[in-house]
Amino acid sequence: MNLLQVSPKGLSVKFALTITAVVAGVAFTIGAVIVTLDWQRYHTELEDKALLLAHSVAVTAPEDILQNDSWSLYKSLKNMANQIPGEKRGTHIITGMIQDPDGRVLSHLDPGNNPLGLPLEHSGEVETKLFNTALEAQRPITQSTGFGEGGFLEGVAPIYSDGKLLGAVRVRLSYKELYLKAQRSTLIIIGMTLGLVALGSLLGTVISKRITKPLTAMTEGIESVSRGETSNIKYVPVGNDDELGILTNAFNKMANEMADKKLLEEQIAVSEKMVALGRISAGVAHEINNPLAGLMNCIDTLKRHPDDPELFNRYLPLLDKGLNRIKNIVESLLIELRVEDAIVTESSTSLDDLRDIIELEIDDRDIEFVWDNHLGEDVLINTRRVQQIVLNLLKNSIQAINDKGTVNFRTLRDGNCVILEVSDDGPGIPVEHRNRLFEPFFTTKVNGTGLGLWIVYRLVESMQGMIEVESEVGSGTHFHVTLPMMEVSV
Amino acid sequence: MWVLFGVPSASFANHAKVGEPNKPIRFGLTAVVLQENLRFLDEWSFYLSNKLGHKVEFVRRKSYREIMDLLASGSLDFAWICGFPYVQKRDPEFIKLLSVPIYKGKPLYHSYVIVHKDSPHQTVDDLKGKTFAYSDPNSNSGYLYPQYLLAENGANNQSYFRKSFFTFSHAETVEAVAERFSDGGAVDSYIWDSLKEFRPDLVAQTRVIKQSPSFGFPPLVSRVGVDLEIVWLMERVLKDMADDPDGRVFLEGLKLDGFGDFPRSLFNNIQEMAAKIRSSHLDNRRPAVKASINTDTNK
Repeated sequence: MNLLQVSPKGLSVKFALTITAVVAGVAFTIGAVIVTLDWQRYHTELEDKALLLAHSVAVTAPEDILQNDSWSLYKSLKNMANQIPGEKRGTHIITGMIQDPDGRVLSHLDPGNNPLGLPLEHSGEVETKLFNTALEAQRPITQSTGFGEGGFLEGVAPIYSDGKLLGAVRVRLSYKELYLKAQRSTLIIIGMTLGLVALGSLLGTVISKRITKPLTAMTEGIESVSRGETSNIKYVPVGNDDELGILTNAFNKMANEMADKKLLEEQIAVSEKMVALGRISAGVAHEINNPLAGLMNCIDTLKRHPDDPELFNRYLPLLDKGLNRIKNIVESLLIELRVEDAIVTESSTSLDDLRDIIELEIDDRDIEFVWDNHLGEDVLINTRRVQQIVLNLLKNSIQAINDKGTVNFRTLRDGNCVILEVSDDGPGIPVEHRNRLFEPFFTTKVNGTGLGLWIVYRLVESMQGMIEVESEVGSGTHFHVTLPMMEVSV
Repeated sequence: MWVLFGVPSASFANHAKVGEPNKPIRFGLTAVVLQENLRFLDEWSFYLSNKLGHKVEFVRRKSYREIMDLLASGSLDFAWICGFPYVQKRDPEFIKLLSVPIYKGKPLYHSYVIVHKDSPHQTVDDLKGKTFAYSDPNSNSGYLYPQYLLAENGANNQSYFRKSFFTFSHAETVEAVAERFSDGGAVDSYIWDSLKEFRPDLVAQTRVIKQSPSFGFPPLVSRVGVDLEIVWLMERVLKDMADDPDGRVFLEGLKLDGFGDFPRSLFNNIQEMAAKIRSSHLDNRRPAVKASINTDTNK
């Protein structure tokens, strides 16, 4: 039940989550690819820029170097640095320098720390590597420190004049620009991704609602069926002519048919009830009518011969017998009223009394009778009623056995209940008789009244108990009676 | 003064007629004056044109050499040059002293040897083995005087400084020192002082460690052969600027008191310095003499 209630919600949530996850996955993958491509593009742009800047200085440098015009070299470096107004366009020139083939400073944008004409300071592993690479550069190259804190890209442009290497221009661009650009595009892509995810989850919710709504309605319908309410299953609106629509249609059709069947069953039950009632009435009428005819005959004869004492002596016992028979039938029909007497504590002897009666009944027939009474002294039951039930069931079993067989009787206590079990290995009850088993006057025996099991049924019913029959043709029959124990105060 | 007074009367007779009005008077400017303020120079040329009744056009070149060449070739009529080119020997002479600016009441200025304000260097001696910025190879304050200081020490530029270079502008020399591109530099005191107003940030980064003796202020000259009437007019106009309210505005802009007549002898010490350097360069070939000059240090 719990599962049934949770699962429709679970499906709609799962569906929405799955769609969201798929959309998010796709969006993030595409986003990551775009960010990576962007990053590569910006990196290439930055490399181009570094090379271009270094080249712009290298072009005018040969003349100035040959004329020892340090000031012009410095000014061309400064002009290069000023070409791009600082942070405005994002490009940040960390520094720039011109070194001669021996690594001496020809010009440096940070002249205070890199004196003119002295060997270029290159302390540290990274700087030394950059310095050596720049010294050996035969053509414009870029080199990098990596993307760490303060990382930069260096464009190196060797200065040639008439094939002679005069030095190299080195321009360092901060990766900050790259970070800023990448950050901006990453933010945009994250925003777009989140937007897509939101859209995807919305779509997922709508779609899953569309799918699970008829499913939920159908589940409610099936739940009603399982509770036995087949007549009031709600109609499930059919959405589309897809698989779901076909299923919904089939379900609605089934619900309709079930409702029709239920109606039909009810009608059949009513007519069956009427048939049974008719049969019972006919039985009662028949049973009473039989002795009545004889009684009427006797009374007629006595009327005609009022002075014949012999007739009186002969017919009075017949009248008495006939009336007693009718009285017995009526008493049996009103069994629950008749046995409304003493409540006694069950003792092993009160039930065990029956044992002798049954053994007497068996007489010399070849029947093994097993008596297995486990009820203690403290069990409170209506002794008379229980005795009647056990007696009737055992009599039936014995009569059911043809030549030889076994009849078992067993009692036991199960919590607040007393369980009585009567079983035999007789021929079993034919299928066609099972429905009428507890019907009054239904009997398969020549001399049977058809009231034995009916009385058992009424007694068990009056004690709020339960009777079950298991029977297999050829193997035997097993009666299982569960009776609640009586309250001590009663 | 004798040059100015002696020649004009004769020239007047020769060139009675003022030059053709269509042809402007070309006036050469050098690094002796701050040339950055274009509008100021335009207005000043307009002023001079009005006063002269003849269009005056300023011609600017990077180096003194170029201005001197233009004068020699007759492409310029007047020029504001430096005392050093003025005293250099020319044969035949093609320029004449026109007027000398009066700065802080005198027709004099100095050469400053400057270093960065945070520099440990206190004297010119400290700059040995360092880098040095000159303005122009024909500048008195920006080249001749520091060369003279080196010569007095028995050294020359090649051996004394690790590296030296020319900026061809006093303002840029200040810039080179202010930005520590150069350890030292030699500048015109007039330009250095003027820069205090125009580029206080640059000047504030520098410190004067040596001031030269007084030299004749960079003079204005006329080319020999220019219509004497125009030369005379030009001299008058310049001289009268101090008495003219409009003229005073330009003088204030130039940070000058006026223009006056001064004798050629005003530049004698520059000439002597140049001579000394020449002889020391010759002496340098004899180590013994170098040692004797070395004793005469400027401290």
